[in-house]
Amino acid sequence: MIAELLEYKFIVNSILAGILASVSCGIIGTYIVTRRMVFLSGGITHASFGGIGIGYYLGFNPIIAAAIFGVFSALGIEFVSKRTNLREDSAIGIIWSLGMAVGIMFVFLTPGYAPNLMSYLFGSILTVSKLDIVLMTILCSILLVVFIVFFRVILLVAYDQEFARTHNIAVDVINYLLIGLVALTIVLNIKIVGIILVISLLTIPQAIANLFTKQFRYIIMLSILIGLIGSFLGLIVSYQINIPSGASIIFSLVMIFLIAKLIQLIKRNVILRNQKNEMF
Amino acid sequence: MAKILELNSVFAGYNNEVILKNVSLKVYDDDFIGIIGPNGGGKTTLLNVILGLIKPLKGSVAFFNDIKSGENNKIGYLPQRNKIDSKFPISVTDVVLSGNLFGTSCIGRYSKQQKIKTSETLNRLGIIDLKNETIGELSGGQIQKVLLARALVSNPRLLILDEPNTFVDNQFEGELYEILKQLNNEMAIIIVSHDIGTISSYIKTIACVNRTLHYHQSNKITEEQLNTYNCPIKLITHGEVPHTVLKKHSH
Repeated sequence: MIAELLEYKFIVNSILAGILASVSCGIIGTYIVTRRMVFLSGGITHASFGGIGIGYYLGFNPIIAAAIFGVFSALGIEFVSKRTNLREDSAIGIIWSLGMAVGIMFVFLTPGYAPNLMSYLFGSILTVSKLDIVLMTILCSILLVVFIVFFRVILLVAYDQEFARTHNIAVDVINYLLIGLVALTIVLNIKIVGIILVISLLTIPQAIANLFTKQFRYIIMLSILIGLIGSFLGLIVSYQINIPSGASIIFSLVMIFLIAKLIQLIKRNVILRNQKNEMF
Repeated sequence: MAKILELNSVFAGYNNEVILKNVSLKVYDDDFIGIIGPNGGGKTTLLNVILGLIKPLKGSVAFFNDIKSGENNKIGYLPQRNKIDSKFPISVTDVVLSGNLFGTSCIGRYSKQQKIKTSETLNRLGIIDLKNETIGELSGGQIQKVLLARALVSNPRLLILDEPNTFVDNQFEGELYEILKQLNNEMAIIIVSHDIGTISSYIKTIACVNRTLHYHQSNKITEEQLNTYNCPIKLITHGEVPHTVLKKHSH
């Protein structure tokens, strides 16, 4: 079956997209979760819909428009919450809904029916284009370089910003750089699972990894692996019973989470029982 | 006895609010200063000025033997524990190693020397057994020791501790003060505390901070003196129980 499937170009593309999504979401998701930026990431995700709407209206590639819109929203939230009296969660709330509003307005202003709109909301790994693959490859390369070269300082800034500042480390530069990368990762993964589901690709693998390891670098590695398993399982299920791939990927990941949790519980019980046996 | 740091008529604050007014302070190599004062009086603001986290609105902060000239940071800082995420997935070794990072020297990996120094520091504080643990698995006192190790690993000339005795048990508190007493032979120490009673026998001098700073050249202070310093710290509460500062205090 597999050799037969690989003859289809769209299958190869979707497998590549699954690998690239797992790598980018494994790295950035770990950063988001450990820095407790999940709500902020939700805000960026929805704000980028504004970019998709504008892209449609101007006849521009919606993903590129969303990337620009997403990065500026992210930098805007970071700037506003650090430099003004507005609370960070309020800033997120405003930009979250503003982006959605802009997106809806422009989609309605666009003459005719907006094709593929559903694929941005719910994702469609089977229709990723060559451009999507190229953009995701560039993103993954940047992420790998940044996280390998600056790993020590990213970890320190994520753990304790104030201490990093007392050591003359350019904390603001690191923060802006990473929030930009968070936005790009979110937007480029929208094509895979959609706006509504992208946040789960950034949090579920990490939650599973966190059951087995409590160290930043190992959470990244394990999340990538779990992401790979989840997206392939999801792809197969999606192909077999003909349902949207985004939903089946997320569903597979949640199933993996439940199984992992169960394994952990059983392991804990075995250890407890052994300890009891030792006592008597 | 060399001067490390001098604050000259410093005014500092946040946004439009001036919190510290006309504060001057000199810190010498063998100093052990306890900073006390009411909440909101500016203790943390003073530390932020010394640490370079905020710039004074007026006045000057001078370091002698410029801290930027050394290959590493010359101020060791132990922040308040509640400012740090205690569930962050990071190992004890990684936390202490990060004390070596300074300025732009943060590309690549840690040197062998830095790793040896990290083990030595963990050993010295009696927490080498914890080196592979993650922060989330430690008790309050253990976390404080790890953060102290991070502050010490760069061989600072000045050690600054912000309320290290909150959220820890009495045993740790006693241990901490003994460690600090030893460290004071090698470096100057500034400690912020809400509880002057316990630290008073370890510190050498007291700085009362309440908008302004009154420097007290002794480790003994009476309530009357505190009042003349405009430093009503007996109003501080410990949780829900009002807490009074006594002349002599034993825990």
